[in-house]
Amino acid sequence: MKIRAFLRWGLGLFRKYLQARAVFSTVASSTILLILVGGFLSYSIGNGLYSTRTKQILNESERAAVEVQNTFSASTVNDEVALQTLLNSVIPSLESSGTSSTRKVALLRSPNQNQELILQSPISADLDTSLVSSNLREAVRLSPGQLKYQSISITENEQSHPGIAVGTSIQIPQAGQYELYLVFDLISEQQTLDFVQRTMAIGALFLIFAIGAVSFFVTNWLVKPVRDAAEVAEDIAEGALDRRLVERGEDVIANLAKSFNRMTESLQKQINKLASVSKMQQRFVSDVSHELRTPLTTIKLAGDVIFANRETLEPAARRSAELMHDQIERFEVLLNDLLEISRYDAGAVRAELELQDLNGVVGMAIAGLEPLAASKGSDILINIPSGSVDAEFDGPRIERLIRNLLANAIEHGEGKPITVAVGASDSAVAVSVTDQGVGMSRAQVDRVFDRFWRADPARKRTTGGTGLGLAISLEDTHLHGGWLQVWAKPGEGACFRLTLPRKQGEVFTQSPLPLPPKRKTTKSVQA
Amino acid sequence: MSHKILVVDDDNALREMVGIVLESEGFELSFHDAGSGALEKFQEVNPDLVLLDVMLPGKDGIQVCSEIRSKAGTPIIMLTAKTESEDVVRGLEAGADDYVVKPFDPTVLIARIKARLRPLTQVVEASGDLVTLGPLILDITGHEVRRGEERISLTPLEFSLLLTLAQKPKQVFTREMLLELVWGYHYKADTRLVNVHVQRLRSKIEDDPDNPKIVTTVRGIGYKAGQA
Repeated sequence: MKIRAFLRWGLGLFRKYLQARAVFSTVASSTILLILVGGFLSYSIGNGLYSTRTKQILNESERAAVEVQNTFSASTVNDEVALQTLLNSVIPSLESSGTSSTRKVALLRSPNQNQELILQSPISADLDTSLVSSNLREAVRLSPGQLKYQSISITENEQSHPGIAVGTSIQIPQAGQYELYLVFDLISEQQTLDFVQRTMAIGALFLIFAIGAVSFFVTNWLVKPVRDAAEVAEDIAEGALDRRLVERGEDVIANLAKSFNRMTESLQKQINKLASVSKMQQRFVSDVSHELRTPLTTIKLAGDVIFANRETLEPAARRSAELMHDQIERFEVLLNDLLEISRYDAGAVRAELELQDLNGVVGMAIAGLEPLAASKGSDILINIPSGSVDAEFDGPRIERLIRNLLANAIEHGEGKPITVAVGASDSAVAVSVTDQGVGMSRAQVDRVFDRFWRADPARKRTTGGTGLGLAISLEDTHLHGGWLQVWAKPGEGACFRLTLPRKQGEVFTQSPLPLPPKRKTTKSVQA
Repeated sequence: MSHKILVVDDDNALREMVGIVLESEGFELSFHDAGSGALEKFQEVNPDLVLLDVMLPGKDGIQVCSEIRSKAGTPIIMLTAKTESEDVVRGLEAGADDYVVKPFDPTVLIARIKARLRPLTQVVEASGDLVTLGPLILDITGHEVRRGEERISLTPLEFSLLLTLAQKPKQVFTREMLLELVWGYHYKADTRLVNVHVQRLRSKIEDDPDNPKIVTTVRGIGYKAGQA
């Protein structure tokens, strides 16, 4: 488990860090290359050493064979004892001469001969005759006068090292054919090779470490600008639009930095432009507000003075004064709504949040609209929980919103009762306003929050709404991070439900009040 | 008795119209049409109340407001076209007693003016001549506040606010109560009026306005005199 966790950590590191990946793959590939090159080198060095030594050994053996043959050919001894002595003397003479101090000698009689003299085969004291294989002996017998050799493995003190066995045939007068074998030890060549291999391995290890270090520094040097760029990009994303990369040199990294900086520059320009456009719009709203409101104030004051004195006017002028008075009022409401919605469009609206009782706000909204409801013949039924329903919201805005919903319900309620319900859960509070009036079709529900949209253009407007009320209500709701939803059915009425989080920023998934409202079972149309 | 009102507004029509409305209520009016020179006009006329537009050529209304405030405690009502809280609060912080948002009803304007010109009778009746509040002594007939020998200059509104709190040092006043008692508003008005004026008052009477000891806040309810 531990190993697996470690592997996973390693793999994670590997995936995460470009640099670790680069260093790792460089080291891995150079290790493979070094093994291949090292193998080749050690093979060819070994080969070279072996073939040089072999050539030397063969020369030596040739000389030895000729010498031995000459010794016997020139000898005049013919009795067995003298010949045996001569034979025996060959071994030490061959053992001691030559460059290799470790050569061993055997003079073996070829089998299957009918000679009168059977001499003992002299053999170097510590030579294991099994090193001279029967294959070699056969080859020697089959090609008399020629040198034959074979690579062998010599085991000494439980360690084996390579060697060469060389053989040739020797004719001994009266004694017939003998075979001279010289066994050479390649231990010093093996030692040389071992030393070379060891040196190469150490060198390779050092090289791999060096390559690792170099690739680390090189990639670090290459990755650093990328890492810097990532860091700066992160800062820019956080809003520090002034951050730039350092442009140094003429290389590809410098090009990256230059392009990056150019991109940031143009981004910053665009953002500043947008910001200034937004600021201009806010300024415009503010200016329009002032410019329109001052003459409207004069008109309003003048209208009021005329209206207050309408009794002294002729009937036509009197009616005009009354109409003007009403329309100035309507104009003012419309102007206020327009300014409010453009403040929202400019993003200039901020909620003044305060922990307060939703019941109280609902009560105030109802009190404000009761006269209108009474004039239309609608009763307002209240279904609110006892005690206070505390939540964090902008009181004036939410009161205005509920007033809007109520005015809407009164206008479309056809004089039937209107129900206002308040509900609360742990995370949310809700208000719903339900009428039993004309209702809306699905298509109408879809457009109900559109600006200046009217459910039925042919319908007479009686309460003088501006057509912006629900659009502003929706903006107010979004400002609070809440929901404003509507259910409606033609001929059965409509229900608007506002749901607000208890605390700003708190997440809620369900409204405390049902939509459609609990009444008779009806098919729902929901926006 | 006829009160003198100075109207400072750059819009000729509005100025004249406000004049017509207020003169019909029996006020005596003078006018000025720019921010520059408004203070000189104020000193020349010596009005009982100033109606001051926020946006004025030359000098803006907020600047004019603090200039007048540095010379006198005369009630000032700002006429503002903006309802953004920033502008409203800035005007109040500069020393305005109240504000009216354009377009306003003539009845609202007249009610606000009358509320500002109303003598502080109901408050005064209740107690004697001198009221002590911590290190402060409030002289009701002399309409002044002293800390030891030092006279602290308060506007009539600030004096009335402090006196209202000082007369019932144990009682916590909600912002709505103060609006009714001090401003004379019986309807729902902007509670920011109270917040800003309490702050202005503190900056004049407290040793450390950030850590008030004379007028303290009761969280979630309102204000009271003295510490809890």
